[in-house]
Amino acid sequence: MVIMDTNAYDDMLKTAFPAIRANEPVCTKSSHFQVPKNLLPAITHYIHTQPNLRGKLTLLWACDHRPSRDTYGLYYLFTLEASHHWMVLSTELTNTDRLFPSITPHIHAAQWYEREIRDMFGLIPQGHPDLRRLVRHEHWPKGTHPLRKDFPWNCVLGRQQGTYHFPHIEGEGVFEVPVGPIHAGIIEPGHFRFSVAGEPIMHLELRHFWKHRGVEKLFEQQPLTDAVSLAERVSGDTTVGHSLAYCQAVEALLHLDVPRRAKYLRSLFLELERLYNHLGDIGAMCNDTAYALAHAHCGRMKEQIMQLNDRLTGSRFLRGVIQVGGVPRDIENAQLVKIVEELNRIQSDFSEVGAIIFANASLTDRLETTGVLNEQTAWDHAVIGIVGRASGMNCDLRRDRPFAAYDELPVNVALYRYGDVRARLRVRGDEIHESIRLIRDIRRKIPDGPIACQPGSLPNPGDWTLSAVEGWRGEILYAVTAGEGGQIHRCKVRDPSFVNWPAIQWAVLGNIIPDFPLINKSFNLSYAGNDL
Amino acid sequence: MFRIIKKSLKIGVVTGRYPRAETPAIPIGAEVKEKAGLFKRSLTIREVDTGSCNACEMEMNALLNPVYDAERCGIHISASPRHADALVVTGPVAINMERALKDVYKQTPDPKIVIALGDCAINCGLFKGSYAVTGPVDRHIPVDLRISGCPPRPAEILEMLTELRKPTV
Ligand code: SF4
Repeated sequence: MVIMDTNAYDDMLKTAFPAIRANEPVCTKSSHFQVPKNLLPAITHYIHTQPNLRGKLTLLWACDHRPSRDTYGLYYLFTLEASHHWMVLSTELTNTDRLFPSITPHIHAAQWYEREIRDMFGLIPQGHPDLRRLVRHEHWPKGTHPLRKDFPWNCVLGRQQGTYHFPHIEGEGVFEVPVGPIHAGIIEPGHFRFSVAGEPIMHLELRHFWKHRGVEKLFEQQPLTDAVSLAERVSGDTTVGHSLAYCQAVEALLHLDVPRRAKYLRSLFLELERLYNHLGDIGAMCNDTAYALAHAHCGRMKEQIMQLNDRLTGSRFLRGVIQVGGVPRDIENAQLVKIVEELNRIQSDFSEVGAIIFANASLTDRLETTGVLNEQTAWDHAVIGIVGRASGMNCDLRRDRPFAAYDELPVNVALYRYGDVRARLRVRGDEIHESIRLIRDIRRKIPDGPIACQPGSLPNPGDWTLSAVEGWRGEILYAVTAGEGGQIHRCKVRDPSFVNWPAIQWAVLGNIIPDFPLINKSFNLSYAGNDL
Repeated sequence: MFRIIKKSLKIGVVTGRYPRAETPAIPIGAEVKEKAGLFKRSLTIREVDTGSCNACEMEMNALLNPVYDAERCGIHISASPRHADALVVTGPVAINMERALKDVYKQTPDPKIVIALGDCAINCGLFKGSYAVTGPVDRHIPVDLRISGCPPRPAEILEMLTELRKPTV
């Protein structure tokens, strides 16, 4: 595959489809095309399959343009495999048009996005193979589409009777095991329905969105500069990832130039967040194989980092460390030296624990070939983050589309191909070492200077932008549209969990139910970030 | 084997290595303490998440790590509400979770204590008013104890739970 320059991609697309119109790109390293809606299936298919493009569906969202225009906009974002260039396709549904062609039949990754759009906006993806409700559970009254502009954010929903249809597998000895929404451990709610014959799982159906809190609608009630605390609470364990992605979007809309020192500190916080989560996950995965020793050691190290966070910033989850325009509090260089010293100790501690963990044959036996997500399935579902990197998807935004200070902090991306639980454990292990190395790098390279700039002018209503951050789970995306008087008109939030959840349905096939908690833990996806 | 023992000796005991929390400002009501007195020095908890951002869950999980080790204070986490003495509820009650919360409450044997953990569970926090949130926990089930914070630190949770079971003088 050859990496071509931006114009070459644009020309290719324009030659193949003369009817499309190029728009102003919304951010760097991207192109934007306005396409007629009937051409959508053909163009998306072309971008997805053309060997020189190999576009991966990264985001699909809708926006109600009222009151300024009586239209709905649909946006498709593809990331080209070789160059990580972004291709945005947009189309508009005017007047009373509520139908758009589904691309799910040839791009599998679109399936949840299109169902979500149907629920939230009442737009119908024609030809979608599965039009059951997704976010709206069966008791929501017919015709409730919360993200439409004429839907009041604080209305009280009524209730109706309804049933959700699970697909049934029939045959001798096949039975169903429903689990959830409330589970046995201290974890978030979700429903899993297994069809099994004997021990092995033949089919798994997920039912999520129990925790839907209306986050995207709540964003629309806030001014652009005030919604950082809401972004922090989309998924608590990814506080920095979400607040950073949100702030970057707002900064782009307000044309703010964040000082370099602030960018370095943002990278520092993001790596600290990655560290404590990865350490916790490794412990929890070992715990699910009943290996309590590793769990205790990892839990101890995770706690050490959370206490470090608390001492540094006053919050164990790094709440309030990022603001629009920079960071609110500086971390002195002397403190940075101390952080590095503490992390060095944790690193050698972790290396010793790692040596013990990986020398344990019965653990390896349990992890290897369990919950395999193969490369093809991962590609079809556009799987990202740790799960993707364990299945051969070579993607990491810190390297591919550098943000914060990563343009000066080269990242070595951990990559494995087996796609089993062990690979996901290894990716985390490697990333722990890499994060600590990055923090040492940050300490060395961080420049002195201001840490924040003040937001000045208001954005033009209707302007929109995209922002992406590699959180510890994977790519976090925000698509933010500015409204009148500095309000948010639309804020699309995409946690990596939303993409990776459907893939788990494939990773468990052929495994036994007792291994499901282990596989689930190795994915460790957020329910809150998914359900919004 | 050697390596494991060496590591354990090198690390030593980490339990209790955390900054202490202050004693709760508002004293716990007498009737709640009386109810808690029934369970003597053990308390089995079932955690229910009705729409939190998951930070509150993480802090509950942290209670079980070797640093806080809540088991040493007689606090256990049960896998089923039927074995629980207390329910710990986190998050505002999301519309899709309302029924599940009421079911869990019914399934928990009496007498039981309901603890609302975190600002969201107490007053819906930032999610107040949303179409998808049907109110704080006490709109749906009676709440005995409130632990505020966003999220409360594990030390604070532990302090409250210990305070709850101290005999009244
Ligand atoms: S109280 Fe705070 S930490 Fe707890 S669920 Fe609510 S937002 Fe999250």
